[in-house]
Amino acid sequence: MSEDKDTFMGVPRDTIDWKPTIDYEKCDYCMECFDFCPHHVFEKRENEPIKLVVANPLNCVVFCRACSKTCGPDALTFPSKAEVSKKIKETREAMSSHE
Amino acid sequence: MSDKYAVLPCNGLDKCAGQMTKEIAMLLCEGTQNEMICPVFYRVADARYDKIAKENPLLVVDGCGTRCASKLAGEKGLKIFRKMTVTEEAQKRGVTLPTDTLRLSEKEIALCTAMADEFIKEETAVPEQMVQAVEFPAPAEYLIHKKDKFIFRVPTEGFYFSENDCWLQVVGNRARIGITDFMQQSLSDIMFFTPPPVGVELEQFDEAGNVESGKAVFELICPVSGKVVAVNTELLTAPERINENPYEQGWVAELELTNFDEEKDFLLNTADYMKILKKKVDEFHVNKQKG
Repeated sequence: MSEDKDTFMGVPRDTIDWKPTIDYEKCDYCMECFDFCPHHVFEKRENEPIKLVVANPLNCVVFCRACSKTCGPDALTFPSKAEVSKKIKETREAMSSHE
Repeated sequence: MSDKYAVLPCNGLDKCAGQMTKEIAMLLCEGTQNEMICPVFYRVADARYDKIAKENPLLVVDGCGTRCASKLAGEKGLKIFRKMTVTEEAQKRGVTLPTDTLRLSEKEIALCTAMADEFIKEETAVPEQMVQAVEFPAPAEYLIHKKDKFIFRVPTEGFYFSENDCWLQVVGNRARIGITDFMQQSLSDIMFFTPPPVGVELEQFDEAGNVESGKAVFELICPVSGKVVAVNTELLTAPERINENPYEQGWVAELELTNFDEEKDFLLNTADYMKILKKKVDEFHVNKQKG
């Protein structure tokens, strides 16, 4: 899937640090986020102690935090939007100055 | 403003925030004409509450992000008039809710009282600045993408788009924002709209309110920086306008632009958004088949 999502706003997706982080102290493995996310960012690990992981961070839609709103125990966090957008803008500027 | 509300708490018994919803619902109903709906009984017996729920504006009180009461309202086909979420309010007010007990202490009761009081106060004060000021022309023409039984529309002129499926229509130094036809169809029936606060200065990609359907909560990601000068108050009582007419009657907020010339480089025109839309539609379709 990730090959179809290789850029966001003209910037290579793998240069953008945007993905959910699971707080395993809070997560109760209800799997609401897994069921919700259509981009397969999360994967289940049914036979392991940690039963849910962020397996495909590059599939995560930049600036989307919708999964965190499905999370009852508030166990999902995202990076700062301001910092990420600043970084995207800087990357774009650097790319255009190299063209 | 209404004299009577139907109040639907989640009444979640396994969390403090859920326990608090019952307290808030009681505070909202004591000494008023408001009527409480028991979510447990409503799930098994439609007839008991259908009339109350359908004839009065519905106030939903959720304990946490699982949104059990909102989801129940969605299952019953009800439109939510107002909603509050205890964990969000606690966070806003810097209150930490206990995780080791389900009993409510004075601190939690005080939060319940404050939330109920605020609802009553807000009901009596409709902000006057929530008005629109500039004329925004209706889209003259649409580009159309069809996939199976779905038809997705994108206005051909006068609109910009973001990769986060929000649109922007600019007139002078003002702009309207909203969500695209593709996103409203992905969400399906929108039940509730939370506008951004009027007067707030938003940076590009900040949250500009959110919309909620039975399926999900969608955070509007503001495509540009600007000051919110108006919000579409009609959506507070008729959020379905976003489904019916996302580019006109379903507009969300009006901004006074602060950095548009620089920021428009990050926006898409119709042709470029259409390419992204097609990719998203295909992916969604594939995922649905996998799921």
